[in-house]
Amino acid sequence: MTAVDAARPEALIPTRTRVLNVARLHAANPWPTVILPWIVLLGVHALTWSIWAIISHYAGPSLEPDAFRYAGGVSWLVIYMMIIAIQAMNATFRFALGFASTRRDYYLGTVGFFSVMAVVYGVGLALLAGVERLTDGWGMDGSFYAPAYLYDEPLVVVGFHFFALYLLFVGLGSLTGAMFVRWKAMGLYAFFGAFSLLLVAFIWWGTDTGWSPLASFLTGNPLAVVMAWTLPVTVAIGAIGFLIIRRTPVRG
Amino acid sequence: MTAIIEATGLTRRFGDVHAVEDVSFVIEEGAICGLLGRNGAGKTTLMNLVTGQDFPSAGKVRVLGEDPVENARVLTRTCFIKESQSYPDAYRGRHVLATAPHFFPHFDADLARRLVDDFDLPVDRMVKKMSRGQRSALGAIVGIASRAELTLLDEPYAGLDAVARHLFYDRLLEDYAAHPRTIVLSTHLIDEAADLLDRVLVIHGGRIEIDADADELRGTASTLVGRAADIEAFVGTREVIARERIGGIASVTVEGLTAEDKARAASSGLEVSPVSLQQLIVRRTGGAPTHEEVAR
Repeated sequence: MTAVDAARPEALIPTRTRVLNVARLHAANPWPTVILPWIVLLGVHALTWSIWAIISHYAGPSLEPDAFRYAGGVSWLVIYMMIIAIQAMNATFRFALGFASTRRDYYLGTVGFFSVMAVVYGVGLALLAGVERLTDGWGMDGSFYAPAYLYDEPLVVVGFHFFALYLLFVGLGSLTGAMFVRWKAMGLYAFFGAFSLLLVAFIWWGTDTGWSPLASFLTGNPLAVVMAWTLPVTVAIGAIGFLIIRRTPVRG
Repeated sequence: MTAIIEATGLTRRFGDVHAVEDVSFVIEEGAICGLLGRNGAGKTTLMNLVTGQDFPSAGKVRVLGEDPVENARVLTRTCFIKESQSYPDAYRGRHVLATAPHFFPHFDADLARRLVDDFDLPVDRMVKKMSRGQRSALGAIVGIASRAELTLLDEPYAGLDAVARHLFYDRLLEDYAAHPRTIVLSTHLIDEAADLLDRVLVIHGGRIEIDADADELRGTASTLVGRAADIEAFVGTREVIARERIGGIASVTVEGLTAEDKARAASSGLEVSPVSLQQLIVRRTGGAPTHEEVAR
């Protein structure tokens, strides 16, 4: 066969559709990625609210004004989506390649899907934080969707914060998943080994400098700037993930 | 005819294991080709290499004239269904069937629906809760209905009962006749699939042992049955692939008999029959070459 050159046939499905197909594949059953997280989140919210109600009933007027401002329930969502990203890599990579996708289409589609989800969660949580503020903290002066350092931030920053945080954790999850798909258990040992080393180096650096550069970075910059700095980190993580996936064979 | 798959010196090693070793072959467009071999012979690895799911350690493979790795031009014309295909945890059968048309441009949803009825597949069940046979049926349905120019089916009916397997052969042949394409079918149920095959590739220990037209291959060897003395007299110095003996009755399989040879054998009271593909392959790939039993 020599006639490969001039009249090379086009792919039967155009690139953009192929990438979209992979994204759709993640949402074919929207239950675990789109529906369940909101149900659990609202459940945790209801639980937190009832605990607030019990405490304020018994504590009465002696309660400090910021008593209910440090709920961590919403961070659950970020961890959950990281695990979903790990699972998604593991379960859908082989499936998508079995359905004739290229690794590149697979990765772009997956990143696209999670980016859209990051927007959905960012906007959704910002809206809920808005309702929270309109209802005087669900009638309890509590803050569930914008707790702690988010309490005084404008809603746009709250939304951006969750968007960036979500992307970072999903990026970490995808990287872990990619290493698992490529090198199985050895990949995970390498990942967590490298992660621990980085952590030790980070603590070393922090202790060495008395934590002051970090502290001044975190306190000296507005939250939006701090969160914006996670984006290049996330992009780097995503790029490493792609380098791993593009040479991953399908096994089993 | 043009080559749809072309492998040259194709090799894949996993550490010390030579899963596919220096394999060269050509598969022409528009035929059903059987990729036969024992478990662990390298069938799946070879198909993984052909579909760009794995990377060769050496040599090359061309599909539709191009390297299949990360090549959407090739892959959008290919459908590879394997026994070990994994499905996302949250998928039910219907999710798989709803997803397939997006990935396989020639997918026929009506045909898929008919096949679901034929195989009596519970499409509302979670794929991970399906039996092995049901998962195989799901794969087979996608494989047939996708009508890809190049369809590779790796042990597509593991866990299917005999009735369902024959249903699979019938439907595959029916659709193949109406929509000709190239099908590569790997199996170790050789006799069952033998009638389907135009072409046979036998892989053994990572190497191509036989690469032949199915009909020619069937004609290459014959089995002779008769009294041991007559058999010995007829065989003489001919090369015997297999020999069995029970008491005074012997059976031998010999290669390269001409029509006259066969006539002569028949006239000297021997029963001559063409060897089955399965027998031939079992013998060529190391299964019991001679077997003698002395009647007590």
